[in-house]
Amino acid sequence: MHSDPIFIIASAIAIAVLLASAATHKVRAPARFARQLADYQLLPDSLVRPVARLVPLLELAIAFALLVPVSRGWAALSAASLLALYAAAIGINLWRGRADIDCGCAGPDQAQPLRPVLLLRNSVLVVLALLASVAPIARDMTVFDGFVTVAAAAVALLIYAAADGLLANSPLLLKLIGR
Amino acid sequence: MEGLIVSNVLLWVLLVAVAFVVMGLVRQIGVLHGRLAPAGALMVDKGVAVNEAAPQVTATDRKGRPVNFGYAGEKSQLLFFLSPTCPICKSLLPAIKSIAREQADRLDVVFISDGDMDAQQALIREHKLEDATYVVGPEVGMTYQIGKLPYAALIDKAGTLRAKGLVNSREHLDSLFEVEHLKHATLQQYLNAQPHSHDHDHSHGHSH
Repeated sequence: MHSDPIFIIASAIAIAVLLASAATHKVRAPARFARQLADYQLLPDSLVRPVARLVPLLELAIAFALLVPVSRGWAALSAASLLALYAAAIGINLWRGRADIDCGCAGPDQAQPLRPVLLLRNSVLVVLALLASVAPIARDMTVFDGFVTVAAAAVALLIYAAADGLLANSPLLLKLIGR
Repeated sequence: MEGLIVSNVLLWVLLVAVAFVVMGLVRQIGVLHGRLAPAGALMVDKGVAVNEAAPQVTATDRKGRPVNFGYAGEKSQLLFFLSPTCPICKSLLPAIKSIAREQADRLDVVFISDGDMDAQQALIREHKLEDATYVVGPEVGMTYQIGKLPYAALIDKAGTLRAKGLVNSREHLDSLFEVEHLKHATLQQYLNAQPHSHDHDHSHGHSH
């Protein structure tokens, strides 16, 4: 399957920035991330700390690999599987009925409980990552193509941030109107 | 072709701008959610009744100057009861200071605390209250029967207690002034009075 390079590079940039920002949040507050990971109750206690160290490194590595054309294909596939893994972790805890733990999805100031809509969010991200793994059609990229690529990635990220903010606000709104 | 490219670039730039605006709006909504604490200062029903003469008491501030409470004077008085050990009190200090600045010509703000002097000094240094009237001692709190902190009381020029309540946010503080304006003891009372105000001939509203 082939697709225009604009779609592929734009989604690769968007996913890379996303993973890099997620990784910086985790690196800045390792204790908090370890606590969130432990709250998910998917790993034995002895593994929580090493995994909490490893995950941000993995995210950073994938983010960098996404930006290099040679490694983009497999990096996009690993990003997709990582995001799918997160979705699975959320799904398992939703199924267990442990919805009140902090999702740990979007940085320190946006604590939010687990909800099914987060699965939808992650599946959109998985689709975006899979799009980045498609082989590009060979064609010359002009300056204008480059501009469109960067602009599209920026818009995708901003809209993602806005949607994420709305998701984090919605439990507060429900509390406010008394449900 | 040239025109199409220009229009396309323009559209992308505008789209990025719109996405920024949307994200900013979402952020602001988030901040508003954070600020929307349960509205209205909670009145703890004991002590001095609102709209009656405030009990008169004199205390010395931490510099040894006497401070009169409840006497008729040139300015209204806002009494803010706090403690160095109460985090919400500290979070309200910026709001109190800005109220003191805004209404300096008609309002004296008095900080009233009790307890360990070293902790008071640290609080005063941290929040730059060196020039404020700061009373340390139990007399005023006992007279006004303050049980919970942070508590604020508003006494008008004539020495009448106009409003009082437990304050947990800037909105609660502002509600005290709103209450003074409406001549009701608490916002709750004002709201309860609203549906009856037509047939009760505004028994305690609209006197200005």
